Amino acid sequence: MSEERPAALISHAEWLRPSVRYGVGAAHVVLLVLLVVVGLGPLLWLAKSAITPTNDTITHPMGLFPNGFAWGNLSEAWNNVDVARYFWNTVVIAIGSWASQLFVATTAGYALSVLRPKYAKVITGLLLTTLFVPGVVLLVPLYIEVVRPPIVHHTLIDTYWAIWLPAGASAFNVVIMKRFFDNLPREIFEAARIDGAGPFMLFWKIVLPMSKPILGVVSIFAVLASWKDFLWPLLVLTDPSKQPLSVRLPSIEGQTELGVFLAAMFIACLVPVAGFLVFQRSFLRGSGLSGAIKG
Amino acid sequence: MKSIRTVTAALVAVGLLAACATAAAVASSTKTVTISVASLIPGSTQAAINQFNAQVAEFEKANPSIKVEPVQYQWTAPTFAAKLAAGTLPTVFEVPFTDARSLGDAGQVADITSLVKALPYYSKFNKAVLAEATDSKGQIIALPKGAYAQALHYNRQLFQQAGLNPNKPPTTWAQVEADALAIHQKTGKPGYVEMAKDDNTAGWILTTLVYSLGGRMETGRGTSAKATLDNPQTVSALNLLKHMRWTDNSMGSNFDYGWSDINQAFAAGQVGMYVSGSDVYTNLVQAYNVNPSIYGLAPIPLAKNKNAGVLGGGTLAVVKPNASAAQKVAAVKWMDFFYEEPLVSKAQAIRNAKTLAANKQPIGVPALPLFDKAQSQLANTWIQPYINVPISQMKPFLNGIYNENVIPEPEASTQSVYHALDAVVESVLTNKNTDIQSMLQQANSEAQQAISSGS
Amino acid sequence: MAGGGGGLGPPPPATEAMNANAISEIEVEGAAVAAHQAYRRPRRTPLTWVRGGGLSNLLFLAPMLFAFGAFSWYPIVRTGIMAFQHTNLVQAPTWVGFANFSAVWHDPQFPVAVKNTAYFAFLALIFGYPIPLVAAVLMSEVRKRRGLYSALAYLPVVIPPVVAVLLWKTFYDADSTGVFNTILGWVHLGPYPWLQSESWAMPSLVLESTWANAGATVIIYLAALTGVNADLYEAASVDGANLRQKVWHVTLPQLRGVLLVTLILQLIGTAQVFLEPYLFTSGGPANHTLTVLLLIYNYAFGNSLGGDYGKATALSLMLAAFLAVFSLIYLRATRGWSTE
Repeated sequence: MSEERPAALISHAEWLRPSVRYGVGAAHVVLLVLLVVVGLGPLLWLAKSAITPTNDTITHPMGLFPNGFAWGNLSEAWNNVDVARYFWNTVVIAIGSWASQLFVATTAGYALSVLRPKYAKVITGLLLTTLFVPGVVLLVPLYIEVVRPPIVHHTLIDTYWAIWLPAGASAFNVVIMKRFFDNLPREIFEAARIDGAGPFMLFWKIVLPMSKPILGVVSIFAVLASWKDFLWPLLVLTDPSKQPLSVRLPSIEGQTELGVFLAAMFIACLVPVAGFLVFQRSFLRGSGLSGAIKG
Repeated sequence: MKSIRTVTAALVAVGLLAACATAAAVASSTKTVTISVASLIPGSTQAAINQFNAQVAEFEKANPSIKVEPVQYQWTAPTFAAKLAAGTLPTVFEVPFTDARSLGDAGQVADITSLVKALPYYSKFNKAVLAEATDSKGQIIALPKGAYAQALHYNRQLFQQAGLNPNKPPTTWAQVEADALAIHQKTGKPGYVEMAKDDNTAGWILTTLVYSLGGRMETGRGTSAKATLDNPQTVSALNLLKHMRWTDNSMGSNFDYGWSDINQAFAAGQVGMYVSGSDVYTNLVQAYNVNPSIYGLAPIPLAKNKNAGVLGGGTLAVVKPNASAAQKVAAVKWMDFFYEEPLVSKAQAIRNAKTLAANKQPIGVPALPLFDKAQSQLANTWIQPYINVPISQMKPFLNGIYNENVIPEPEASTQSVYHALDAVVESVLTNKNTDIQSMLQQANSEAQQAISSGS
Repeated sequence: MAGGGGGLGPPPPATEAMNANAISEIEVEGAAVAAHQAYRRPRRTPLTWVRGGGLSNLLFLAPMLFAFGAFSWYPIVRTGIMAFQHTNLVQAPTWVGFANFSAVWHDPQFPVAVKNTAYFAFLALIFGYPIPLVAAVLMSEVRKRRGLYSALAYLPVVIPPVVAVLLWKTFYDADSTGVFNTILGWVHLGPYPWLQSESWAMPSLVLESTWANAGATVIIYLAALTGVNADLYEAASVDGANLRQKVWHVTLPQLRGVLLVTLILQLIGTAQVFLEPYLFTSGGPANHTLTVLLLIYNYAFGNSLGGDYGKATALSLMLAAFLAVFSLIYLRATRGWSTE
């Protein structure tokens, strides 16, 4: 990806002109300042307020520790408000959703791209149609299905299966997985087949190892989507002890003092932000990828 | 062939996976009966949780064949519907008066008539309260947990700072307005705040105001009831709010208070007065560690109108419909022990009070009597020595409530009526130029539609 | 989440040719076998199916077929059915024809929700469509440490939306000591009611929504911008075009495809906005932030005694149908404008 080379909008000759250089340079500085204030500012405020006593945050929200720190907010959020438990729930849900999504997307993409049974076209067509259906159409019947599953006859409400199982049905994941497999060199498959590899061996030992980049991207987006998910867990997890952070935080807003509440929110941000900083490249590449599919 | 073996292995794996997806059935034991019971609102303090667990231990000791599992529980409209549909409510759960009858009629709570009638104190129940626990077929489906009347809560400290006498809370709505203005001018804090959230609490409090002026939201019963939301008293109540909000500016700047956040704001000393159930002091202590010295409780000011009264409501404990016979017996035993015994048995009342006191939980919060007058007064003397709430600061309410008519909430489609009023309250408080008449008419037709369709 | 559907791409040529060969071989073989033993054995047995890889195909597709069948296709079909039924989870559903649609159409909250949703989409377009483009164009010319710019722009996107909304809710505190009111107070503006005012509530929602989502669009534009062919710019420079003309005549036309797609995706996305109205204001004050999705939620989950699932699914269908028609019209109208 040409992330380092700038677009060629401004030609070399133009750069030499001082008016362009200083004008665009100034624009860049302004942009950077705006990005810091707007993009980073709110998070910095959250971090600061998480360790500021509630009273100070209420009366002097833009002050900088007028009465010292309140590290206790963080520990109180983690222990008394039980953020630790909700954090753990979020992690468990994310892992399950990730596994479910990866399992469905890799097997389906492999079948549609490499194995290519005769009916693959039909399924791919169905898949693409599903991609166009807005999520709201599914909401109510899926909910009822989870409340009263037809064959199993035991409710999935308040179990994590209610989240993990539907998570696998992501047409987007299957499409990009399939696309990636389409672009793998077929000769390697042929060589493997000639060596006697069956479909499972081919999948496990050849295709998957070659797909590390796309697996990485799908994984990151799966975990991130799960961390951010709100409406569905809100509906299917009515037991507070099972709820993830995103569902629990709004419910405890009325019962938690502001400083502790902000500390809880800060903790909820840590994993996504840290993950982003570490896996930046994959994030941004994946975002560009989704743009490539849409474009 | 190798691939067939792997294929078979894969088939087995898929089969196992499918089996895993099937949730396991709940194990049932032979001798002990297990019931799950609603315990505390999620987020309660550890002390409150300890107290509840202590009571569970006491019950299990007295009834070795019953095992009780506490489940944190809070009744909110969306989660209740979900749990009801999914059947994940605890064996014993709680519902407000307004929902109990509909649930009973729809067969969504168990019929416990025979078990309740077998209780030794059955004849001493307050008839009005028992009526709320009876469905339209005459079956008793609940035992009362508590009944409350609406009340005016006020911050004694802010009263003092505003130059008002904390022992003389306002007794008319005009006085409420004047006192609110004084508080705002002298302390900068809102003198009077009102619930205005879209979760039916706005309509609930407005209905309280309207009742206190002598108005009613409905006439008749059931699906043939007629909605009367746009009666003159509602207009007066809204105009009062409008005046306080826009002319006096004594209502502060936040107009989306719900039941918990208004308690939170009050406990933090941020507001002067508000209307809510007379029993919220328990929540103020259990969730927010309120400073007892700021708390004052007054009766709702009533207009000089023979229809003026104070809105009352309450909570009932009910049993899941598909509980087994043994579970129903155990459930009623628990309900008897936890909800009723402290009011009918001296020994239990004292034991209960001791447990609550040990865990620093409030004892003696004013409530409406669940039993007849004689029994209620007797019960009060038992716990007299243990009362740890600032009962003297609640005197205005305790004295005044006996002169007030307690009126039940609108009977038909209660929540829908409240919901229709939510928007009107919000509009009055956030838009200076609201057309009250037209909004009320709209709310009225919305409520009428809900009533006629029985929803 | 609807994404754009590009073509599948051509099947890898080698496999196609191989398949063609294999098929013709099998045909020949099959004809020979049939000629010898036609009266005795059918051509395909379960064993030949398994040997031919049929079972493993199915096994690999099984997870997807289960997941989609149970949790995607079945619910979609059921929406179509439930919209014409009255369901209450206690008794069996009954058919009610178009009654649900009629009830929704006549609900006074329906036109309010539609108007509000359109208003949200419109404001989101004004705030959130040009800004990422301008930022991306500027960023595309950054020589040093462009990664820093990208990271800062994308940071709000990784924050869980619930946290973002709750954080902005504290920012929007209407007291003069609220965060925004304090900042504006430094330049003697305000205090403003933000979420507590009928007219300010929706723009406040859109502002937060833009903050939380614009970063993703910036990154997409950036990727597209750096992919624009440098020769086009050179040619334009040779023709004497200045910067502004180059942007107008080269950059924007080259970006048309991406711009059009992001536009339709943004419109479809904002038409389904739920989180902001739900968490910020619960649709208030006085239904001024009630959106279609929130109305669907209220129909289905707002009543403590059980929801009206028929009306909820009817409204979902209406929304989906509207979006489908809108997309078709949009695609038809912009077909001639795309560069490819």
